[in-house]
Amino acid sequence: MKSLLIAVKDAKIHLKDRKAILMMILMPILLTAILGSALKGVMGGGSMPETVLGVYSPESNAMTENIIQTLEAEGLAITVERAGTEKQLMDWMEKKEVHVGLVLPEGWGVDTDRAVIIPIIGQESSSLIIQQMIETFAQMSQTIEHATKTVMTEAAVMSANGAEIDMATIQYELAESVEKVVNEQKIYVIEPAKEESVSSMQYYAAAMAAMFLLFNAMVGAKSFHQERKTETLSRLMMTPTSGHSILAGKFIGTFLFAWVQFLFFMGATHYLLQVDWGSSNLQVFFITFFYSFAVAGLSMIVAAFTTDEKMADVVGSMGVQVLALLGGSMLPLAVFPEALRKIAMLTPNSWALTSFTSIMTGTDWSALWLPAIVLFGVGILSIFISSFRLRAV
Amino acid sequence: MLTLSNVKKSFDSREIIKGVSLQIERGESFGLLGPNGAGKSTLISMICGLIPYGAGEIRIDGKVVGKQLKEIKQIIGVVPQDIALYPSMSAMDNLLFWGKMYGLSGKAAKIRAQEVLEIVGLADRAKGRIETFSGGMKRRINIGAALMHRPQLLIMDEPTVGIDPQSRNHILETVKSLNEQGMTVIYTSHYMEEVEYLCKRIAIIDEGKLIASGTKKDLSNRLAGGTVLKLTVDSLHPLFIEELKTLNSVEKVIVKPGEEIDVHLHSKMEMVAEVILLASRSGIHIHNMQLQEANLETLFLQLTGRTLRE
Repeated sequence: MKSLLIAVKDAKIHLKDRKAILMMILMPILLTAILGSALKGVMGGGSMPETVLGVYSPESNAMTENIIQTLEAEGLAITVERAGTEKQLMDWMEKKEVHVGLVLPEGWGVDTDRAVIIPIIGQESSSLIIQQMIETFAQMSQTIEHATKTVMTEAAVMSANGAEIDMATIQYELAESVEKVVNEQKIYVIEPAKEESVSSMQYYAAAMAAMFLLFNAMVGAKSFHQERKTETLSRLMMTPTSGHSILAGKFIGTFLFAWVQFLFFMGATHYLLQVDWGSSNLQVFFITFFYSFAVAGLSMIVAAFTTDEKMADVVGSMGVQVLALLGGSMLPLAVFPEALRKIAMLTPNSWALTSFTSIMTGTDWSALWLPAIVLFGVGILSIFISSFRLRAV
Repeated sequence: MLTLSNVKKSFDSREIIKGVSLQIERGESFGLLGPNGAGKSTLISMICGLIPYGAGEIRIDGKVVGKQLKEIKQIIGVVPQDIALYPSMSAMDNLLFWGKMYGLSGKAAKIRAQEVLEIVGLADRAKGRIETFSGGMKRRINIGAALMHRPQLLIMDEPTVGIDPQSRNHILETVKSLNEQGMTVIYTSHYMEEVEYLCKRIAIIDEGKLIASGTKKDLSNRLAGGTVLKLTVDSLHPLFIEELKTLNSVEKVIVKPGEEIDVHLHSKMEMVAEVILLASRSGIHIHNMQLQEANLETLFLQLTGRTLRE
């Protein structure tokens, strides 16, 4: 009960501190907005950046219409603008009215290699996706064409030999295989790798949440030293309250503030930046619970191994920055080499970040147990180590 | 109420408190005097159970400090030397918090906080944030926080450091009033006038040792030559100096440069006339005469060779 009194008092003090509010709540929202917008064009996945594709095709046939329809498919964020002439397409490109140019020459569909893709600078990732889609489409078309030819030839031969042919069955089987191929093509193109499937805004919302919640380790430790400096800690110890209750109060205070911070951040990013935190808020809160627990534990470690506020500030800031960098809060984990990705697994924020992004794209509860256990373990270990040292202090 | 029996404390093999014994009765106002670094705060920390004592025994209301600490903490209220409050919280919120830490329920804490604000004269500033208060107001809330749970023993560690005279007077009046209502008070300071005003019994501590204790009268009687008659004369005649030393009331005579003489008396004012008569008989003209009366400062100086504020 007394621990809770101390915790609520600490959380209230943090919330009254304008500097802390600016740093812990407004800053991550602002950074999410800036980084999420700035890196919109370079982050791939199902959230392909909005692309205007200029297409010139002198000949309109089933193949050209089909590829254009595929490119315009919902979920790809591609707007197709048809140019009347090749020159018009080039003009558009020069004026940057389109991001990528595509020329489908006469006869395209038979000789599919001749399609020309022209990206403008800065839109390389979009052009790469379009190129992959066209290649896939071409391969599929060739397969279908080849299969059709083979079946029809076989049928013709059998017919010539006087064998009985059930054309209806052949047609049905052909249609079924074509549909299957078309579906496979769709899956291949649209389904991105999971890690890349969140938008840049989503990724940085998760990244900033993981990073700025980590700052509570520093804030919690500073609060401890502040109490010691102003003698309120001594005064607390003169009340009929055990040392364990006081430590628990400081721990819960940090934990509570991390929660308030996260809830505010989640609400703000959802309503102001339209960040989709996934379909299960319960899963988000589940991971936030364990992450806040780990962070509160780390605050005790920082408090235990620093001597004053200034030192806690320096050690905490440096620690948060290193962990943020390693844990993918500054640069997406996807761009890390394999070795660094493995090192990232040692940081609590990377466990929180990957869990948040997984939840955003939809994940099972079973996938969240391991991160939860790891984060809980970090918290418990921190409490265990720090409680010995802090009680001695 | 409080008994200290040969209490000792060492840090890193250096003895900080060297066998202090004291007894303070219920309802008493007891002063603990000593210069900075004398060991007053360490002694108080040990009484509060904040730091363990090395040897001896401390009992409060019959309970042994260190063994029945939880019950003892409920009996004592401590006013620390520093402003141990939360600056960004209001006076009322601070009092409520400290009250609840002593086990007061929400409603009881609110009623008591209002009473305490009246006692310290800050009822009209209940909602003000501590960081906006003057030094004196902060000190008054600092005292108020220790009164929330109605302690039987109030321990005040230099509660008037660095404040304006008006706030100091208010604090002294408050403490006097609390004591008159039956609260036992231990008041530590290096301002002897505060201790002289508030306390019936006084202990002087220096370098971890209790060097004197008793009522003000007891301590005054311990002074030898505590009253000093400072004379400035036209000439220092050796015969006059020798005759001065032979007077019954004179403890000692110190001749200083610039024709100055300090005559240490056995504290009686009537002896001044005897000195003046002798000077007149010896043909010595007194240009200036100043009588410095004996007080705790003088006693401290006599006992330790240092002043209280050194």
